[in-house]
Amino acid sequence: MLELILQTCVNALVASSFTALVAVGLVLIFGVMGIVNFAHGELYMTGAFAVWYLTSALGWPFLLAVAAAILLVAAIGAVMERLLFRPMRGNPLGGLIMSVGTLFILQVLALELGGGTGRAKHVTPPWRGVIEVFGIEGVTVPVQRLAVIGISVALLGGLWLFLHRTRMGWALRACAQDPEAAALQGISIDRFSLLAMVLGAGLAGAAGAVMAPLLPVEPSMGHSVIVTAFIVIIVGGIGSVEGAVIAAILYTFFDTFVTTFLDGTIASILGLLIMMLVLVIRPTGIMGVREKV
Amino acid sequence: MRTSLSRRRLLGTTAAGLGLAAAGLPRLGRAAEQTVRIGFLAPMSGDYVDWGLPGLYGCEIWAENVNAQGGLKIGGDTYKIEFVGYDDEAETDKALQGAKKLVLEDEVKFILMLGGNYSGVQNFVNQEKMLVSTLLPSDMSPDTPYLIAPCETHPFYNVTGVEWLAKNRPELKTAAMVYPDDSLGLPSLATYRAAFEAEGIKIVTEKAYPDEASADFTALTTALLAAKPDILCLDTCGAGAVSQITEQAFLQGYKGQMISCTLDYYKQVTEKTSKEFMEGFIFQFPNFDDPMMQKDQINFPDPKGFYDAYVKKYPDAWSAVSWEYPAIMVTWADAAQKAGSVEPMKVLEAMKASGTSPHVFGKGEWWGTEVLGVDNALIADWPVVVMRDGMPTIAEFRSIPDWMSKHTDLLIKHMTDLKQMPDQRA
Repeated sequence: MLELILQTCVNALVASSFTALVAVGLVLIFGVMGIVNFAHGELYMTGAFAVWYLTSALGWPFLLAVAAAILLVAAIGAVMERLLFRPMRGNPLGGLIMSVGTLFILQVLALELGGGTGRAKHVTPPWRGVIEVFGIEGVTVPVQRLAVIGISVALLGGLWLFLHRTRMGWALRACAQDPEAAALQGISIDRFSLLAMVLGAGLAGAAGAVMAPLLPVEPSMGHSVIVTAFIVIIVGGIGSVEGAVIAAILYTFFDTFVTTFLDGTIASILGLLIMMLVLVIRPTGIMGVREKV
Repeated sequence: MRTSLSRRRLLGTTAAGLGLAAAGLPRLGRAAEQTVRIGFLAPMSGDYVDWGLPGLYGCEIWAENVNAQGGLKIGGDTYKIEFVGYDDEAETDKALQGAKKLVLEDEVKFILMLGGNYSGVQNFVNQEKMLVSTLLPSDMSPDTPYLIAPCETHPFYNVTGVEWLAKNRPELKTAAMVYPDDSLGLPSLATYRAAFEAEGIKIVTEKAYPDEASADFTALTTALLAAKPDILCLDTCGAGAVSQITEQAFLQGYKGQMISCTLDYYKQVTEKTSKEFMEGFIFQFPNFDDPMMQKDQINFPDPKGFYDAYVKKYPDAWSAVSWEYPAIMVTWADAAQKAGSVEPMKVLEAMKASGTSPHVFGKGEWWGTEVLGVDNALIADWPVVVMRDGMPTIAEFRSIPDWMSKHTDLLIKHMTDLKQMPDQRA
């Protein structure tokens, strides 16, 4: 039993790392721009598709493909902000419609890039092998999954340092907390909205890119991710980066344990129930701040 | 000015005349040549794309072959075959939209469906008396008289894999199962439960997942392997789920036997695991270049030629359904020729007149009253496919009718337990 519990912890750690990447990106975009980006799952999918294309069709090394995928998705984020979201600032419904439109466009592009059939693509894992955790034979983590944890921790750590130790990071957080006050301090909302979108999209692209060898890569793969990300940011507190990371860990540990010890259907139902309970009992989430009237 | 106007008028009249002629000529051509349209109403996008679109490719290759030979001779006429596709995304409302378009606008004479969403079109089909085929007889009930399953009798053929396994590896006594909690997974679960019970194999754990997109296959595999099964059974999991669970089983050090309804991405899965790990993996869908497929009992024209043409035209698209929809067309064509008509009810009548029809894997018999409420499923031999040296290989054809004659009670018991009998599904 101890082995099973430890193995489940290891599984949950991998799941929480990439979930946190996606959720933090979504939080950044919502926090600064006030837009619920429904296309966030498709940015994740685009990262995965880019890695598939670059490694399979062009033969690029995996890490180089991951870096290129992050840059590509970040660039798509920049285009979305400049052309779609900025004209809709102050119009949440307009932003939402723009994000849903982008969702379909990215899916169709992926479909066409993948040969127009919608069939799943497979990325051969660059790292094979399995490592025993704590020296226990029954508790293992594949090297590829370990890489997901490593890359996620590095990116999230880098983001934390950027947000807390640089002037730009402070300005970005100021925009998220109170855009009007930030603007009065001379902070360009346009510039920092663009930065938030680039960072948020880049993180989603990174999550998709590192997960590409572990999942079938297909145009609809963003659906499940966006649902999980919404649960996580609601539980964590909408707008809170720290809350998103904590909620990603809590939620994925809960989901993984329920899936392992009960089953996947029950885990899905309970996950949504928890989100609804949080909305009723603590609408601001774990780390969210109550809005001033 | 006058000259110019006249020239314009002349040019305009000539263009209009040519246009009319161009529009008229094909009509004359079509009138001289009979074409029967067949509807293809299946998922061509979404989660179940692997069980729809590759089948349309197969149908088109089959139609090209038939048309290249002049067409089908039916009742003194010769018919070219034309497929009209509609993507139902495996949803009931889209299936109804598609069925209406195919019947009322395209005037098709037969509709091929994957199934699972037949309830959406059932009333319309009954009203129009349209002949429809499914790969999932679990759609059937006494209220579906025009729904037939002339090829795949999912999930009942899964019994052949378990039976073969028990015969060839009698030392395996326990199984762990993972299944999708849906209209594909549950009847399949009932069938595997019956098949394992018939062979004295104990199921030590069963794990469900709601849908492929949101399932955590790493956690599910950990839970399955914790029960230390001799056999890991993947039920009728979707293609992506089979890939991920198999890869996880490999990564988590599983050394036992694996069995699954399908293994569509066997090349990619073998690439991600190893030939050694995949050796002996059992599933139910052969490649058509398999030597066993070239035997006389097979009712499919030139299986190897079909397979070669398919993989040449659509590399990496071959899946469980690539040959199934064309195989249904072979059975349909046989019945249409016997009926001397392409009219749906006449074809259905001819199909079932003798109680038997040619099935792709041999002589089939119409079956199903006890389990489905209607004997519209054509059961016959079915291949047990085993991975050998990285390739799917037919190990043996085993008889579904023989298994049913011995164990139908068991099947009914488990179908009832899971509320999958026709009266329970309603």
